[in-house]
Amino acid sequence: MTSDSSLAIELIDIWKRFPGVIANAGATLSVKKGTIHAVLGENGAGKSTLMNILSGVYRPDEGQVRINGNQHWFHSPSDALTSGIGMVHQEFRLVPSFTVAENVVLGASEKIIRRSLIEKEVEQIAQQFGLAIDPTRPVWQLSMGERQRVEILKTLWRKAQILILDEPTAVLTPAEADELGNVLRRMAEDGRTVVFISHKLHEVTAFCDEATVLRGGKTVASSLKVEEVNESDLAGLMVGSSPVISERPPHQEPGEAMLTIEELGTLDDRFLPAVKNLDLTVKSGEIVGIAGVSGNGQREMAQAIAGLRPITSGKITISGKDLTNAPPSERFTAGLGYVPEDRLGIGLAPRLTVIENAILRCYRNLRKSIFLVSEQAVNYCKEIIDRFGVRTGPIDDPIAGLSGGNLQRLLVGRELSGNPKVVLAAQPTRGLDVQGVKAIQDLLIAERAEGVAVLLISEDLDELLTLSDRLLVMHEGEIVKEFDPTTAHRHEIGAAMAGKRDES
Amino acid sequence: MKRLVLVRREQPLRGGQPLSFLIGLLVALLAGILLLVASGHNPIEIYERLFNSSVGSSNAWAKTLNRAVPLGLAGLAVAVAGSMGLWNIGAEGQILAGAMMAAWMAQIFDTLSSPILIPIMLIASILGGALLASGPGIARAQIGVNEIITTLMLNEVALRLLQWLIHGPWKDPESRGFPLAPLLADEARLPKLFGRAHWGVIIAFLVIALFGFVVSRTAWGYELKVAGSSGATARYAGISLNKKIITVMVLSGGIAGLAGGIELSGTSDRIVEGVSGGYGFAGIIVAALALMRPSGVAAVALIFGAVQVGGLSIQTLGVSSSVSTILQALILFGAIGAGVFNRYSLKSVKREKKGGST
Repeated sequence: MTSDSSLAIELIDIWKRFPGVIANAGATLSVKKGTIHAVLGENGAGKSTLMNILSGVYRPDEGQVRINGNQHWFHSPSDALTSGIGMVHQEFRLVPSFTVAENVVLGASEKIIRRSLIEKEVEQIAQQFGLAIDPTRPVWQLSMGERQRVEILKTLWRKAQILILDEPTAVLTPAEADELGNVLRRMAEDGRTVVFISHKLHEVTAFCDEATVLRGGKTVASSLKVEEVNESDLAGLMVGSSPVISERPPHQEPGEAMLTIEELGTLDDRFLPAVKNLDLTVKSGEIVGIAGVSGNGQREMAQAIAGLRPITSGKITISGKDLTNAPPSERFTAGLGYVPEDRLGIGLAPRLTVIENAILRCYRNLRKSIFLVSEQAVNYCKEIIDRFGVRTGPIDDPIAGLSGGNLQRLLVGRELSGNPKVVLAAQPTRGLDVQGVKAIQDLLIAERAEGVAVLLISEDLDELLTLSDRLLVMHEGEIVKEFDPTTAHRHEIGAAMAGKRDES
Repeated sequence: MKRLVLVRREQPLRGGQPLSFLIGLLVALLAGILLLVASGHNPIEIYERLFNSSVGSSNAWAKTLNRAVPLGLAGLAVAVAGSMGLWNIGAEGQILAGAMMAAWMAQIFDTLSSPILIPIMLIASILGGALLASGPGIARAQIGVNEIITTLMLNEVALRLLQWLIHGPWKDPESRGFPLAPLLADEARLPKLFGRAHWGVIIAFLVIALFGFVVSRTAWGYELKVAGSSGATARYAGISLNKKIITVMVLSGGIAGLAGGIELSGTSDRIVEGVSGGYGFAGIIVAALALMRPSGVAAVALIFGAVQVGGLSIQTLGVSSSVSTILQALILFGAIGAGVFNRYSLKSVKREKKGGST
């Protein structure tokens, strides 16, 4: 069977089921050669699964994959690569101690490789597409944007004609994202086909030719010409109804200082200074937002406040109590609720059950006899589930079966159930669907109304502008500027995120 | 073309455990027929002996139970450490340490009577195993030394110490040059339960039950599992990791040491080089087949013990030890390994064409 020869990719009626989840329910996608094609959809819409099928990571339960009109059945990503399909994943797959060129050739079938030759080749490809990078530098020295270029170079060096990028701009600054757009345009002009997964609408309209929208595992709009649609049309297709976003909470006068941080200093995982002399106060009944490009010390600051990272200097006080050297559990008891950025690595234990995760912070207090699970613990767990709307099976089941949104509800619910005085929320809505985002944001707003001091670290500027009473911008481990979110201009915030300081 | 893949079930199959055991056993025995016929044996005769010698009589049960004791305790030692994500590969050496300590006590307190001497010996065996495992535990907790390597290497240390003892100070003057320690006095031997089965069966069962309960039901066991899930999560929950690593390694070593004490006092009756019987390494298999759950090791050890006893017995019918070992592995793998189908189902998937065509 032959089909339209102008199409590089055709995915026809793809079904993929996982236990308890249908990730793709008859999804289709057709992409013309030499174009940049956006695949849009919310988290859980089935974008990543569909792309993993296209790149050979998963095999579809039903459906056809056609590349340049020929039906294919890939067994592995390298199989797909042989057919000219390369994928740049969200999490980079690079060896930090290897150089750029070494990473590019890693896994190549050639047995004998000449370093200088590879370095020249990589340099040449990089120049051809405008990817500024030095092939001899080790990867650990590179920024996230540069690492992404290495991933792209890996596929180009293997002569991929079809490039899939899974949410490539999530790790980039706005300027880097624009630059990536230019690179992708050059590749399309060179005759390559680019599939661009995103949920950032302005990027789609800025540098894609066509867009396919997925919802609930199905294709709801295929190959829309980007010139003919606007961002709100696309948003409407993605969510199926008008987008629900939390409203700005009414103004309220903040109370006394609940969280005080003075001259905080801490190191990152490479033992380099990550936070330098940071002063911060969050008062009762206010939400203080921390904006910044990721990797500017936000993660380290949060971990230091929570007691998970040793500090090199400074003082941490919660409602007047000095907790500078207190262990994490004592901080929880003193009224600090912490929603870590790394949900399954720190916040939850994936192999344990729902109830075992629910009581993680307070099992010592809930226990009456030698038994871990008391009636009190069961009630406590059920209360979290009811109050925070966690959709789950039996509480004795492992949490591995819960969706991302429900995991986060369980985690946030647990941290809020102790009636905290201070809530430290790091990327609390990242990766959640619209309902999940709204639920978590509403919880934070409710805590503020109760007089809780909320420190919100987020990469989503809209979220920060909506929720915060004060917005602080962090750059290279320091607070560089404070904004009033009701009057701040986005470009000013952007400039501060890039390191522009207050003139004073 | 079709291909079979394993798909995880949403819920484990209800009542699937005995069913998969029987079906797995049957498949293994059928495959074993091929093996036995190919090696020139009469499968019916061999299987009859295999069954009769392991579970066919009270005498057979006694042998099986006696073997299951060190297997179960060694498996428990590995599984307790494994619940926290630690690997105790040193159960073999800890068994030796336990046996040596027990034998030493029997020498020192040779005037005491059984009801006092035997508890002293068993407590000493626990201390011996615990002592040997404490080093790796402390090194892991304080400076992050990989416990797999240290526990593995200490096996050799324990073995060399034992060799020195039986070639030197503990050598039995009546052994006519063989490296053997003297036989234990009657007071130092575990009393019999029935036939040749000794009281170690009861002790091992109680210890396994105790740890099964502690790990799955108590806060202490919960902390182990949280720590095993992720060190960062444990710190976040306020669990002190270092102390726990040392405690768990010491307990794990103590359990293995107890296996050595029981094996000496109940079965081998003297210190010889093979007193540990490879149980320490078999314990890793027991723990793995029990999915690192302390509560699961008793059943696995019992099956393992029966298969070993039967496997030894059929060698007297002329089955070579290698064929016997293959048969043992088949049965063990079939009967226990089939349990995977309680959690996974087999699904056939179509594939039309080999991918990556050019």
